[in-house]
Formats: sequence, structure tokens, C-alpha cells
Amino acid sequence: MPKNSEKELISLKEEINSMWKLVLSQVQKCKQAYLTGNVVLAHEVVVREKSVNSFELSIDIGSENYIALFTPVAMDLRWIISMIKISATLERIADFADGIARHVIEDNSDLVPESVKDDLKIEAMFDAVISMLSDSYVALETENTKISGKILQKDDIVDKLYQDGRRYLAEYIQKEPAKGSSILNTFLTLRKIERIGDHCCNIVEEIVFYIDAKVLKHSKAKNKISRLETESEVGTQE
Amino acid sequence: MNRKLSQKIAFWIFRILGWAVVGILLWILGFIVYNGIGVISLEFIFDSPRNGMLEGGIFPAIVGTFCLIIGSMIVAFPLGVMSAIYTNEYVRDGKISRFIRMMTNNLGSIPSIVFGLFGMALFVRAMSWGDSIIAGSFTLGLLVLPLVIRTTEEALRMVPDALRTGSYALGASKLQTIRYVVLPTAFPNIVTGLILSVGRVSGETAPILFTVAAFFLPRLPSSVFDQVMALPYHLYVLSTSGSNLEAQRPMAYGTALVLITLVLIINFTASLIRKYFSKKHGAV
Amino acid sequence: MDIIEAKNIDFYYSDFHALKNVSLGIAKNSVTAFIGPSGCGKSTFLRLLNRMNDLIPDTKLAGKCLVNGEDIYAKGVDVDTLRKKIGMVFQKPNPFPKTIFENIAYGLRVNRMGNKEFIRNRVEESLKAAALWDEVKDKMNRSAYDLSGGQQQRLCIARALAVKPDILLMDEPASALDPISTAKIEDLIFDLKTQYTIVIVTHNMQQAARVSDSTGFFMLGELIEFSDTKKMFLNPAKEQTQNYITGRFG
Repeated sequence: MPKNSEKELISLKEEINSMWKLVLSQVQKCKQAYLTGNVVLAHEVVVREKSVNSFELSIDIGSENYIALFTPVAMDLRWIISMIKISATLERIADFADGIARHVIEDNSDLVPESVKDDLKIEAMFDAVISMLSDSYVALETENTKISGKILQKDDIVDKLYQDGRRYLAEYIQKEPAKGSSILNTFLTLRKIERIGDHCCNIVEEIVFYIDAKVLKHSKAKNKISRLETESEVGTQE
Repeated sequence: MNRKLSQKIAFWIFRILGWAVVGILLWILGFIVYNGIGVISLEFIFDSPRNGMLEGGIFPAIVGTFCLIIGSMIVAFPLGVMSAIYTNEYVRDGKISRFIRMMTNNLGSIPSIVFGLFGMALFVRAMSWGDSIIAGSFTLGLLVLPLVIRTTEEALRMVPDALRTGSYALGASKLQTIRYVVLPTAFPNIVTGLILSVGRVSGETAPILFTVAAFFLPRLPSSVFDQVMALPYHLYVLSTSGSNLEAQRPMAYGTALVLITLVLIINFTASLIRKYFSKKHGAV
Repeated sequence: MDIIEAKNIDFYYSDFHALKNVSLGIAKNSVTAFIGPSGCGKSTFLRLLNRMNDLIPDTKLAGKCLVNGEDIYAKGVDVDTLRKKIGMVFQKPNPFPKTIFENIAYGLRVNRMGNKEFIRNRVEESLKAAALWDEVKDKMNRSAYDLSGGQQQRLCIARALAVKPDILLMDEPASALDPISTAKIEDLIFDLKTQYTIVIVTHNMQQAARVSDSTGFFMLGELIEFSDTKKMFLNPAKEQTQNYITGRFG
């Protein structure tokens, strides 16, 4: 491939990687801040949200230039399309991390006992989405879509925990109406983690589109996984 | 020596030599005009020679030369153009066309006096046409045939192949392509070749010596089987034989002037025709 | 049924094996583009379709090439009639050194089609179809050489259209033109698709992507991939195709 377009590609790739690492650490830090009630750490997350946004902007500009100047096709075209979408999705994930951190800052979390967080298995949910995010990064780096099935399966676990947690909180709010606003905040956090999981799924779909050129979007979750498993042998040429 | 100086010297040498050619031409023209203009008059052009060629004009020789030009072109033009079309358009085998081309070139390098002898043997004797315009025309025609073929071939080769393929792609046959595309496009250049050969014909002496030219025949030809006088031969006669060479000299220069003027007029007309057709068809 | 069907075609220029076992089918009223590096055989294949390669000495063909179900290399096929049915536009505009009118009328005249009135109507019709009529209607008797390069190329397209071919072959029709003229030719190809089957050879991949419905990729005489253009440029099936269209080699 032409040297100058390769240079452009490499610098874009590096930017995506840095953004990815930053977003991952944002999610990890908001998990820490939430579980330990560490307001200082939460403030750090909120401050660093701005640099996530600037990453997204510069990746947008880089992608526009790359498309305008090099009119990519085939693999290059799929790559640049998925990068634009992935950077937008990463930014959304960082927004959720920022939102959770803000809950930590505002919240009187001592109103809700620690046992509730344990009952909700919030740590497990956090760990699940964090591993989804880091696994999909590995999938992109190694251009290997074999693990994408596993990543999508983890989202099912997250969804299950979210549904259980919602029911649990619905009962809990009836028992302790005085703690209502604090319980609602806990629910919103739960909801945000679940959304992070959904966005990780979108990222995986983009990676699969880039590498295998298969469109997984908007098909049923189970179909997605089965399609991945049956076709992953045929797809990739790289 | 530095480079600039050597460059300057080289350019001056080229310049001087280039202009020298023009100088030589002007010198010859000037010489002929200076010596010949004295005898030029209406009588000289439109009258027959009288009094042992010391008086009168050269009208029969002018007419004779015209007859030979027309006759030889009628012989050489169709033959030459068709032969060139054959070698350039039809022969696909490189060996055959190279062979034909080589033979054409050999034909062109035969000395003109040999053509004269051959013409006498074939046209004058064997065909028993006698000394006649037709025998002379054929001889001269054969003489300029290689020239016609070569210039026509060059003209055909200058027609871009893209035009031929464009024509074939529309479903035109080979003959149609040659007739409607190749020949019209090459026409200006073919005409140029034709004019060059006219110049050659009008100046040749040797081939007509034994086949057509009359030493002294102060009347116009009545048929193609008549003998005629011709300008170059008349010039030759005036300068080498006759009753009084010294007295004939001005007449000789006059004849030369007429001959040169004739050739120049022909060349000029040719370039006019060429320009006209180039404009009409676009430059090729 | 496909209007053009090539079956196991091998083609040789004396010793050079220019096409290797090429088979493909081209649908009626579609635009098909052939891409590939120089000397890959794409132009050779195009010229097979109207037997233009017949003009080159010492060539050999094996396999079958069917147009409208008939073998165009069968004995007794009249090549001139075939070429009338399969028009061609070349890389460099090659108008004849004649007037604009006579350029278009040429194909009709050599094929002895119609009288004066018919020819005049057909000339106008073809120039309109080639989107050139408005630019030349007042100078039909001017030399075609007075036109710009882009206009000349559209004139050549009009000239090919005048004899009403079924198929229009284009050998890099826009490679010698500026971007505006190129865009006009591409628009034209798009419009002509409704009436003609168009096969175009191009070095410009973006052009192939823009104008064609299906694309064939040739390399070293082989048809590596032949598929829907969108698929070809988003997700080619063969690695060689991918490497070529993205500019990666080796």
C-alpha cells in the first residue's frame, strides 16, 4: 500500500488505541470510586472525560481526511467506517463512566447499605463490562473475531444481573421509601453499567464487520452468536 | 574553451550552413533569371521555334512537357497509389511487405537513362508505339513510380491506426475504411508526393531521349502517338547542338527560366491544395 | 439469459498467453467494468468481444464466446455485421477528419442504412443521446477536430450509438480527459445503461466503482474475481483483489 496513506492509517490507529486505553481506565476508575465511595477518584474521572471528547474529535477529523484524500476501498473502507463508529461508541461509554462518577460525588451513599451493592452484584457487573471492553480491544488488535462470541455472551450475563437488580430494587424501595432518591441513584448506576455492556456489543459488531465483513447489527443476540460460530471459518482472509 | 563559447561557435556554423542552402538556390535562380529574362516575351512562350531555333519561341516544348506530365501521372498515380495501399494496408506479413518495399527502392535507384533504354525496347519497339507521347509517358511513369509509391506509403502510414480501428468498430469493411477514411485523410500528403514526381518528370531528359522527344518539331501533337518537343530536351539541344551555339545561348537560358518557373508554380499550387485539404479535414 | 457469455477462453499473442481460462456472463442492460494492472488482459478480453483482435496477426483463441447465444467466432460469422452490433469507444478520442455530421453519419453510410432524411434524424438522435447535441447543433459542418477532447469523446460515443448497437464496449474512455469531461462521460454511461449493455475497461478504480453494476478483476491473464461492484469494493472475496484495489502489493 502507498506509504503516505499507510502513515496516515498508523497514526489514526495509535489514536484509537490511546482513546481505548483511556476509556478503559475511566470505567475501571469509576468502578473503584463507586465501590469505595472515593470522591477524589470520582472527580478525576469527571475531569478526564474532557480528554476523551477531544480524542473523539481528533479521530473524526483524521478519518474525514483519510477518506477525502485516499478514498479507501475494501478492507480499508470497512476499517475506517468501523473506527468512526467505535470512537463514537467509546465516547458514549466514557459518558456513562462520567455519569456514574457524578452519582458518587452527589450521592449520600451511606443511606444505602453496602450489603445492597453486594446483593446487586454490582462489582461482578462492572468486571463483566470491563472485560468485554478489554477483550474487544484484544480482538481488534489481533484481528481475531473468534473471541467475539464470548464477548457477546457476557452481555447476556450483564443483562440478567440488570433485570435481577431492577426487581430487587423495586422491592427494596417499597420497604424503605425514605431512601427513595438514593435507591433511584443506585438504579441509574445499574442502568448505566448495563448500557456500557450494550455499547461494548456494538463495538464487537463493528470489529466483526471490519474483519469479516459480516453485518451482525440488529439481529437477535442468539443468532449473532450462532452466526459467528458457524461462519467464522469462512470469513477472514487476513 | 568554455561551454558558452563553443556553443556559440557551433550555432554559427549551423546557421551559416543553413542559410548557405538558401543562398545557393537564390544564386541559381538569379543567374537563370538574369540571363534568361531578356528573351522572355509573349512570342517566346506562345510561338514555335524558327530559323534554326534562333528565333521564335518554345510553345511546342511547353505543350509537350505538359502532355508528358499528364500522361506519366495517369500511368504512375493509380499504379503507385494502389501498390502502396496494397503493401501498407493489405499485406499483413512483414516479410512480404519488406520485400516489396526493397524492390520498390531498387527500382528507384535505377539510373534514368536505363529507363530510357528499357522504354525504347519495350514501348517504342516491342509495342510498336514508335517515338510517341504514350511511350514517353509510360517510361516517365515507371521512372517516378517508386517515388509515388514511397510518398503514398508514407502518407498512409501517417494516418493514425486509431482511425482505422474506429472505422472497423462501426462495422465498416476494409475497403470502405480505406476508401472513406484512410485515403481522404492521407490525401494532402499523397498530393504532395504527386507534385514531387511532377517536378521530377518535368525535368527528366534521359528517359525521353529515345522514347518521345523530337529534336525539332515546330507543331503541336495531334494524338498520343505523336512525337513532341519537351523543355528539358529542348534545353539540352539548345546548349549542345544546332547551327550556332553562341547565338542559341539566350534562348537556352529563356527555356531554363520557363522550366524552373513551371516547376515552382506546380510546387506552389501543390502547397495550396495541401493547405486547403488540411483545413477541410483537420491536420493529421 | 446473459447477453455475453464467455466460456473457458484462452488467448495467445504468438507465444504469450494473454488470457487464461476466462469464463464469465454479462447481463443485458448492465454496466460491467474490468479492472486490473497494465497488461493483465482486460483490454484483450474487451477486444475479443467485437473481434478487434482479429486485426492483430499471429493470435490464437480457444474457448467459446457467445453474444445473444450465438458463437461470434463460429464459421460464417460476418465480422463487419458483428461490429455493427457491438460498438466500441477507444481510449483516445478518434474522430475521423470529417465534419461533425459526417462523423456520426459514417456508420450509417457504410452500413447502407436509410436515406438522407433518416440519416439526419439519426444523427440528431445520437448526438442527443450522447448529450452533445446542444453544444454542436449550430456547427454540424465544422470539423470534428475543432471540438475539445471531452466533446470529441462524446462524439465518438454518439458515432457508436448511431448504428444502434446492442452492446457498447469502452476501452478506458475517460483516461485522457479532465475531471469535468470524465464526469460527463460517467453520467452518460449511467443514462445509456437503460438501452445498452455496456462493458468498460478502466485503470481508474473509483470510476469502475462509480459507474458499474458488476466488476471483473484481471491479473496476469486470469479473471481473479467477478462480482457485484458493491461487494467487490467493500468486501472482495479474493486476497489478490483486496491487495490490488487497496493499493497493497505482494
